[in-house]
Amino acid sequence: MSIPNARSLVVGVFLLCLGACATPPQTRLMLSSPPASLPRHVELTSVPYFAQDAYQCGPASLAMSLNAVGFSVTPEILKSELYLPDRHGSLQVEMLAAARRNGAVAYQLAPELNDVMQEIAAGSPVVVLQNLAFSWYPVWHYAVVIGYDLDQAEIILRSGPEQRQVLPMRTFEYTWARSNYWAMVAMPPGKIPETADATRFIAAVSALEKISGPGKVQGTYIAALKRWPGNLSAQIGVGNAAYQLHDLDQAEVAFRLAAHDHPDSVAAFNNLAQTLYDQGHSDEALQAAHRAVSLGGPLAQTAQETLAEIERAKKK
Amino acid sequence: MTQQYSRFMRWTSRVVMLSMLAMGLPMQSAFAVMVDTNQTVVHELANQDRAKINAFLDRADVIAQLQKQGVTANQAKARVYAMTDDEAHNIAGKLDQLPAGGDVLGVLLTVFIVLLITDILGFTKVFPFTHSINNR
Repeated sequence: MSIPNARSLVVGVFLLCLGACATPPQTRLMLSSPPASLPRHVELTSVPYFAQDAYQCGPASLAMSLNAVGFSVTPEILKSELYLPDRHGSLQVEMLAAARRNGAVAYQLAPELNDVMQEIAAGSPVVVLQNLAFSWYPVWHYAVVIGYDLDQAEIILRSGPEQRQVLPMRTFEYTWARSNYWAMVAMPPGKIPETADATRFIAAVSALEKISGPGKVQGTYIAALKRWPGNLSAQIGVGNAAYQLHDLDQAEVAFRLAAHDHPDSVAAFNNLAQTLYDQGHSDEALQAAHRAVSLGGPLAQTAQETLAEIERAKKK
Repeated sequence: MTQQYSRFMRWTSRVVMLSMLAMGLPMQSAFAVMVDTNQTVVHELANQDRAKINAFLDRADVIAQLQKQGVTANQAKARVYAMTDDEAHNIAGKLDQLPAGGDVLGVLLTVFIVLLITDILGFTKVFPFTHSINNR
């Protein structure tokens, strides 16, 4: 090796070491001022471990998180639901979709270390996507965060061949940051992630409802309404699930509440009108339908159709 | 000529895919004229008809791409059915460029040495046998 080369190597290694002393931003913030609500140390030891076959970290990770919250499913079954043979891997979207296919509400967390740790503290294992190598030489990998230790600055995972992998928090952040901090939780019916945002959570419930039917999600909508009283999407969700299950009385209560709390919501008045009409209260239904139409907006077409249908029926 | 032909084929296959999709996927429950829960969440559905058609095309595209990557036709259909319109839209047309979480295999020798060093420094975590220095 010629001298200039050796010198540049030394400089290179020196710079790398210098970099290693730096701490990535989320870890730094977490260690310097951890939220008072977070316990110093949590480990969800009851999360089961599935050793993965080659390339099967997606199915294995999802199986661990689903089984941990009461859905019994094997990595082999999940393989047919999310593995891409030619890519030797699994897509993020399919991780969410496959969780849903097995009956869970699949919720993607905000890209915050704090949120991951809050979920762990609340008892939910978190599936994360890591790039274990570099952005220019990616090694994509799914693992399950099951714990952390603030005193040791460590994150604890079930990862590939390792049942209990302990990573320095900063190393975890480096690998996780390269996936843009992608993280998800699979929630059982009626449970809401600790860090959930109301709108994004209801969207996740509604995605499950589309493939599982209203019966499976009704309890979750009701739980959401309890967590976020007065939330329009939750009110509509409760009402729609009840309506589809032919519980018109409960639907009416939910839509009335929505219309009362949100007097400018087309959805609330339209769905109230349809429900009242189905109950045989056509005068009141007509009133609500007129109100829905008068509000305009992107849902105006639906409101028009409801009004027309009620008027048509009244003329008969 | 060939370009025209391939464009023709592309459209033909789209139409075929679409009709196959229409047969295979049960339509979302059409109950009266209720506003869907998801619609109250997703506000930007100004033109609902166009949105529906686009969603259909996105789904057909994702089904075709999944099959290209080794998934059987039936599985691909069931898998896309479990996606939301937004999810299908986000991956349509670029499925092969998205990260697919798999595993650590086939690391080249040069990269191996670099990765070994960065593993030890704690920037990466490719090898199970490395223990990085933990300085805060």
